[in-house]
Amino acid sequence: MIEILSNSALATVQDLGREGGLRWGVGTSGAMDPLALAAGNILLGNDEGAAGIEMPVFPFSLRFGADTVFALTGADAEARLDDFPLLPWATVQARAGQVLQLGLPRRSGAWAASRAYLCVAGGIDVPAVLGSRSTQLRGAFGGLDGRALRQGDVLQVGVSQANCNDGLGLLPPALAMPLERDGLPAMRVLPAAEYTHYTEASRSAFWDQPWKITAQSDRYGFRLEGQPLEAVAAIEMRSHGIVPGVIQVPPGGQPIVQMRDAQPSGGYPKLGTVIEADLWRLGQAPAGSRVRFIQCDWDSALAALADNRRWLDEARRLVELQRLQRGKR
Amino acid sequence: MNADQIQQIAVWLAATDIGLLELRGPGLSLALRQDAGAVTVVDRDEAAQAEAASAPAADMPTITAASVGVFLHRHPLREQALAAPGAAVQAGQAIGLLQIGLLLLPVTAPGDATVQELLVAHGTTVGYGTPLVSLMTRTTP
Repeated sequence: MIEILSNSALATVQDLGREGGLRWGVGTSGAMDPLALAAGNILLGNDEGAAGIEMPVFPFSLRFGADTVFALTGADAEARLDDFPLLPWATVQARAGQVLQLGLPRRSGAWAASRAYLCVAGGIDVPAVLGSRSTQLRGAFGGLDGRALRQGDVLQVGVSQANCNDGLGLLPPALAMPLERDGLPAMRVLPAAEYTHYTEASRSAFWDQPWKITAQSDRYGFRLEGQPLEAVAAIEMRSHGIVPGVIQVPPGGQPIVQMRDAQPSGGYPKLGTVIEADLWRLGQAPAGSRVRFIQCDWDSALAALADNRRWLDEARRLVELQRLQRGKR
Repeated sequence: MNADQIQQIAVWLAATDIGLLELRGPGLSLALRQDAGAVTVVDRDEAAQAEAASAPAADMPTITAASVGVFLHRHPLREQALAAPGAAVQAGQAIGLLQIGLLLLPVTAPGDATVQELLVAHGTTVGYGTPLVSLMTRTTP
């Protein structure tokens, strides 16, 4: 059992998302950094898709009501268990009554990230709705009562057979699979249907200039700021299906990247799509920071997804091997 | 495992800079020590006694590597060392890390202590049993 002590209004229960519901107008939700969530679960011997808590606002604190093994991944946020300083991306044993506190994410280290994930051995036990435990904020279902967590909320923890109280940690994928342009975090983008409707100058500017993530960015979408994108002629479109990662361009020319809580349809023209494999990179980029986009094609987008899969498989293999060896000693 | 196989392992071992090789399996326990190309079998009881005898006095324990890996003074996400010489550490607190591929194993303080010295440079590949950190026991005020 976990009791939320902070009144954060933005922390949510998330898993890897609710797939297959777009046709009914049900968005995917799920962790903004699915690699971090899956890594935490791998460290704990959980299924990769077990539910955890996504924490985008700090400080944040909660109390463990029972002995619990947990893992913190994502942003390194000066976490402490009571007075004990914790390492990021590692398992920790909490005793009943201990308080976990997260401070501000470090901005000076090798990776400036904005969301921390708490995974617990056995997973956060909320009912699965339409096949997922993710909080669907727009529809107000999933997660805990379909809403963000608030002070006094109590979350149940699932049962775990795994023996994972060993402090084992993982090298974050941001370091194992870095992607940068001119020192800025970068994401690969596939040109989308209306790409050629933008001027040559706007298209090259899109790839060549940094884009600032504005404060008007959240789980629904990231509003970017840079040199406005100019269409060759005004574009009028009917609403059509969209997915997380789609980069829309409203009439002002400042793009919006749809994120995990995106609505399933929209009517703005689409310049491109951040590939699924790189959405975690954007999902972790802090408001106010700048990012770059790299043009890619379908094959390299699939290869990037396979790279992520390989990273997760390798992490799982090494964690299991280490526990096997430890068990024999 | 027969004598020929042990002989072969001894030859391989002599060509490395590994100081101590331990093999354990069902019904098998072998320990070989290598010193400048000379390989000797370590008697288990003897080894245990030697270990006990050389066990550092409680007031100055040394932490050794529990695995082959790369010794890190700081977490890869951080710029600061986990524990610099002179730093006070609590029991169970990570003083360093051993990196094995994507894995990070904590090198933890066995008790409340003060870090005396980090015996191996950041980023050094170390073998099993390599002394990593010397500590001084802290007297609680």
